[in-house]
Amino acid sequence: MAEILLQVKNLKSVYKTRFNERIIAVDDVSFDLESGKCLGIAGESGSGKSTLAMSIMGYYHPPLFYESGAVYISGVDITKLPYNQLREKILGKEIAYIPQAAMNALNPTQKIINLVADVMKEHVKGISFNDVKKIAEERFETLNLPKDVLQRYPIELSGGMKQRTVIAISTILNPKILIADEPTSALDVTSQKIVIKLLKNLIKRGFIKAMVFITHELPLLYNIADDIMVMYAGEIVESGKAEEVIFDPIHPYSNGLMNSIIVPEKGIKGKKLIVIPGAPPNLKYKLEGCRFSDRCLYAKDECKTSKVNMKYVNNSRSYRCISQVDELKEMYKDGKKPATT
Amino acid sequence: MKSYRKYMTSKIAWYILTFVVAVFLNFLLPRLIPGNPVSTIVSKITSGMADTNSIKRVYETFEKEFGLNKPIWEQFMIYVSNLFHGNMGTSFGQYPRKVTDILASSIVWTIGLQLPAIIVSWILGNVLGVLAAYIKKGFDRILFPVFLFISCIPSFGFAIVMVWLFAVVLKIAPASGGYAFDMIPSPTFSFFLSVFQHYQLPFWSIVLVGIGGQSLGMREMSIYELNADYVKYCRLLGLRDSKIVKYVFKNAVLPQITGLALSLGTMVGGALITEIVFSYPGLGSVLFNAIAAQDFPLISGCTLLITTGVLVANFLIDIAYGLIDPRIKVAQRE
Repeated sequence: MAEILLQVKNLKSVYKTRFNERIIAVDDVSFDLESGKCLGIAGESGSGKSTLAMSIMGYYHPPLFYESGAVYISGVDITKLPYNQLREKILGKEIAYIPQAAMNALNPTQKIINLVADVMKEHVKGISFNDVKKIAEERFETLNLPKDVLQRYPIELSGGMKQRTVIAISTILNPKILIADEPTSALDVTSQKIVIKLLKNLIKRGFIKAMVFITHELPLLYNIADDIMVMYAGEIVESGKAEEVIFDPIHPYSNGLMNSIIVPEKGIKGKKLIVIPGAPPNLKYKLEGCRFSDRCLYAKDECKTSKVNMKYVNNSRSYRCISQVDELKEMYKDGKKPATT
Repeated sequence: MKSYRKYMTSKIAWYILTFVVAVFLNFLLPRLIPGNPVSTIVSKITSGMADTNSIKRVYETFEKEFGLNKPIWEQFMIYVSNLFHGNMGTSFGQYPRKVTDILASSIVWTIGLQLPAIIVSWILGNVLGVLAAYIKKGFDRILFPVFLFISCIPSFGFAIVMVWLFAVVLKIAPASGGYAFDMIPSPTFSFFLSVFQHYQLPFWSIVLVGIGGQSLGMREMSIYELNADYVKYCRLLGLRDSKIVKYVFKNAVLPQITGLALSLGTMVGGALITEIVFSYPGLGSVLFNAIAAQDFPLISGCTLLITTGVLVANFLIDIAYGLIDPRIKVAQRE
């Protein structure tokens, strides 16, 4: 079995608002990430994907607070590390991050090379600026990025180029794990492709060993992820191999997500769009029963009251629903049509 | 680079145009004050004289001397041609001193007082502002109301409180003047000591009031910058906070530079009230007295100096911004 690089155990983090409300944004999330794998996390806005990313990296800044659970990176539980050690030993070095909005992720008044230099000097003792420049130029060339980008300011780069630059900067120290938080959502399709290719290239060349790819676009995940976790209202509702989850979803929510994907085809204008009715529950209230039950087309009465645990189909496949797999499949096939607009 | 030169040329042209308009207004506006300065001077000189004829002769002599008997457009022509020769005319109020002499002797005091005070308050204010935004908690909770309080006090009110507290009650600083009244300016130790002692109250009253405003602005800007995406990204790259605060400081201070340059520009006339409260022998007092005496050439001279200061400061900001902020440079080239 491959080495486990990242292990998340029953992680729980909350947002505390000014009005003393507690919003549990990441609720009891557990998963392992093996070397060489790409884990995709899917879910709609507000499902806790980005918060999960922050929590994994130990980025707890108000209003986000750590509640319970553990995150093991290279065998160390980082939730127990003081911030300074986390910063020195883990962030940027063991685990790196690609932000959602690379457009604003770069300091507007700093040349790219100077940021690279600051990052490297922070983690590699006594490295000279010339060495930094050599390493950075080499890395940029390997990743098919023009090396004169290094001498530019962020404003002089296009959106796609900025995103690729951010990826190159994040991975310059060869971190084991890369967390990509919707790296493609702000890009056009061509740039998306380039970015995905670049990320794959990083794993292939061994610059990073494993990746967590967060997105709201399921089809994109099929392109890059080995495994997929579907998040809903702070919980994982389904996880499994990418192909299985995408083509054969078990959980009604995953099924709904797949149905609501728009594929360009003839006559699409006249077609009605299939959506999941309703909106995610407000997490500031204590929720009993299945969190999806209010929107679920296949909900039973007991869904609203009894707590639902993850059920394992096999080693890699699990879902969170009280109905059995066969039962759900049967329901998807016949009868109840998903709601349309 | 070519478009940058074009940008600069048009900028300079605008500055020159502004300057020309300013010279015109500097000349015209003081002369619109109702009243006749010559009568004031003549009545002072001829007090006790009974002979109407000789009074009239004195009046005419002065009117001719000042050129006030000519039509106003001719006066303007003379004024402008004199300006080209570096001659701003003779003061009415302090006749027969040259305006340039008066300005030269008073501007030293003003710059000596204002330049260090503005720079010190700017640096202290900005550093305290960014620290308040970064440290938050108790530091911010105490400093913020204090800043707010100080920045709301008008400078003359603050100056008067300082005089009352330190000069009248505590008696540890002299109340007024640039140096002790029984001294003659000379390069001796006791004279410099006296200047230094007289310097403290006006200096600190400008600095403290300045810190309030600067730090408030800087605090707001820093809070904004600290919440920017790049701060989060830098933290997740493992950069230390001191480095991140440096980035934030640089970005947040950009708008503050405009404030600094503008206050440096208006410096020459800026501390008018403070100078009056402390009877400081600077340009502020000169301008104040000149207005009271309807001393047209001196008023024009003072305002021309202030105008020039503001224009030069603005021009320098334009250049400096392009060097500091790459975003502006791009805009300048477009």
